[in-house]
Amino acid sequence: MVNYLVRRIFTSILVLFGVSVLVFSVIHLVPGDVTMAILGRQKVSPEKVAELRAQLGLNDPLYVQYGRYLNKALHGDLGVSIRNYLPVSKSIAEQMPSTFALAMSALALALSIGGILGLLAALRHGTWFDTLVMGLSVSGLSIPTFWMGLLLILLFSVKLGLFPSISNGSSPAELFLPALTLGLPEAAVVARMVRASMLDVLSKEYIITARAKGLPERLVILKHALRNALIPVVTFVGLQMAYLLGGATIVETMFARQGIGRLAVQSIFNRDYPMVQGVVLVTATIYVLINTLTDITYVFLNPKIRLK
Amino acid sequence: MISELSPALIQSNSPGIRVLKQILRNRSAQMGGILLLILIFFSYAAPLFTDKDPNKTEPSLALKPPSLEFPMGTDGIGRDNFTRFLYGGRLSLRVGLIGITIGALIGITLGLISGYFGGWLDSFVSWFTDVLMAFPDILLALAIIAILGPGITNAMLAIGIAFVPSFMRLTRSSVLSLREMTYIEAARSLGSSDARILIRHILPNSIRTLLVLITLGIGSSILAGAALNFLGLGAQPPTPEWGAMLNAGMKFVRQAWWLTVFPGAGIFLAVLSINLIGDAISDAVAGTSITPDKKQHPFTAQ
Repeated sequence: MVNYLVRRIFTSILVLFGVSVLVFSVIHLVPGDVTMAILGRQKVSPEKVAELRAQLGLNDPLYVQYGRYLNKALHGDLGVSIRNYLPVSKSIAEQMPSTFALAMSALALALSIGGILGLLAALRHGTWFDTLVMGLSVSGLSIPTFWMGLLLILLFSVKLGLFPSISNGSSPAELFLPALTLGLPEAAVVARMVRASMLDVLSKEYIITARAKGLPERLVILKHALRNALIPVVTFVGLQMAYLLGGATIVETMFARQGIGRLAVQSIFNRDYPMVQGVVLVTATIYVLINTLTDITYVFLNPKIRLK
Repeated sequence: MISELSPALIQSNSPGIRVLKQILRNRSAQMGGILLLILIFFSYAAPLFTDKDPNKTEPSLALKPPSLEFPMGTDGIGRDNFTRFLYGGRLSLRVGLIGITIGALIGITLGLISGYFGGWLDSFVSWFTDVLMAFPDILLALAIIAILGPGITNAMLAIGIAFVPSFMRLTRSSVLSLREMTYIEAARSLGSSDARILIRHILPNSIRTLLVLITLGIGSSILAGAALNFLGLGAQPPTPEWGAMLNAGMKFVRQAWWLTVFPGAGIFLAVLSINLIGDAISDAVAGTSITPDKKQHPFTAQ
């Protein structure tokens, strides 16, 4: 157990090290000279180029640059934007709550919609309802996020006038459409998982036992089957943060919302490399941490692994 | 001659055909296949259905709703949306196919090598894929585009690289289980080279699992491509492409629904058709039938 924990944490540190190297390399992998890429075709004096090189710290040997980058990053300093000269970490900290609110509401919608549909589909296995839910699920997986967002805007915003199509705030009305856009494809995955997991659990012997001893069907389902069926779903939630953080890029761009996803896209257009590096580093780090925590929680939840 | 006797080949013949037959009989695979063929036919035979130029602007005809003359209406600068839809499909489908090909080629090669040879090489490749997997979804593609700059070729490359980890992992785990098989040992003792063992014996036996990932991957790859194009990081104007058309149509979402609904439907149908086929392949490979079997779950039949 302790062995496993140590190994798992060690792996994560190795991965985070790799992430930092990769993110650091971004600026050096740009074809040609990065200062030219940043300054573009505008006529600039050699002094200006030299100034930019110094600002980006490009004059030192690579390992010195990396060491400095890592040291600063560990102290929360992700550099300064080369467009608006604001600290990258400050910009990210400002945009993060908006993305977080979006991801969490999307997750809540996905779990409730997907969970209920998946459960009902499993209980009505083989009926038209099951087929319908599975059909909706395949469609949900195939639908481009941005297209669904548009259809939702056309329906709820243009046609019915219920929700704003541009929504920057975190009030329920402003969050509803973006969260639904991000959450529905996720709901499709959750529905599939809950259904498969429920079907699996329902064929287990302890369910037969529970029924045989005369428990009401409601208790069999809720207390015995659903609880066990949800274990794989819970671990899955952690992994889904990847999708939510990635999808936020599109949803935020679409609804002109604040957030780190939109910040990343805009910084790519602006060739604001320190900002891109910062967003990518922070997002990947969050993701690695969530995955590590999920794995560790899973070990605590699952006695079979714990006892080994 | 020995290879003809190897279980690999004896196994791969008849079950292969059986799997294929099962896929062809599958209702959703048939639907997906027909849908996909229609989409491919319409986009590649575009000149048969329209004699207009996808990039010809006609400001006086801007934002016309769908009519007989313009079946999908016109866009903000009077280009025929239907013509752009047909030509745009070519690029959207191609991005998906090329993206997944890049990802599969690199990923499968890495997986074969790292699973077969093991050792520090395996540790390094596995670590590297773990690192790549630490970047959520589209973010890795974004980082790559940040390096290479926006553009359709770079978008395909970015999608390809983003797919490398899944292919590498799946191939590796398949190689690990096959490596110790008796027939691999037999091939080795007969003097087959590592390359021959990998290509003639291990790869064909991994192909069934990989096939599922490849098919479903084409769908996700089309989606990812459309997403990058939608963000403006792929195809640049005036190139017609479904994701980019959707992005351009966003400006007119209140006046002209046809500019966003049709290209989006194109992406959706393309991905749906591939997912339907992929599901059927995955069911066939797993050896289970897709038709709900009530007998399997006697307690849920009520």
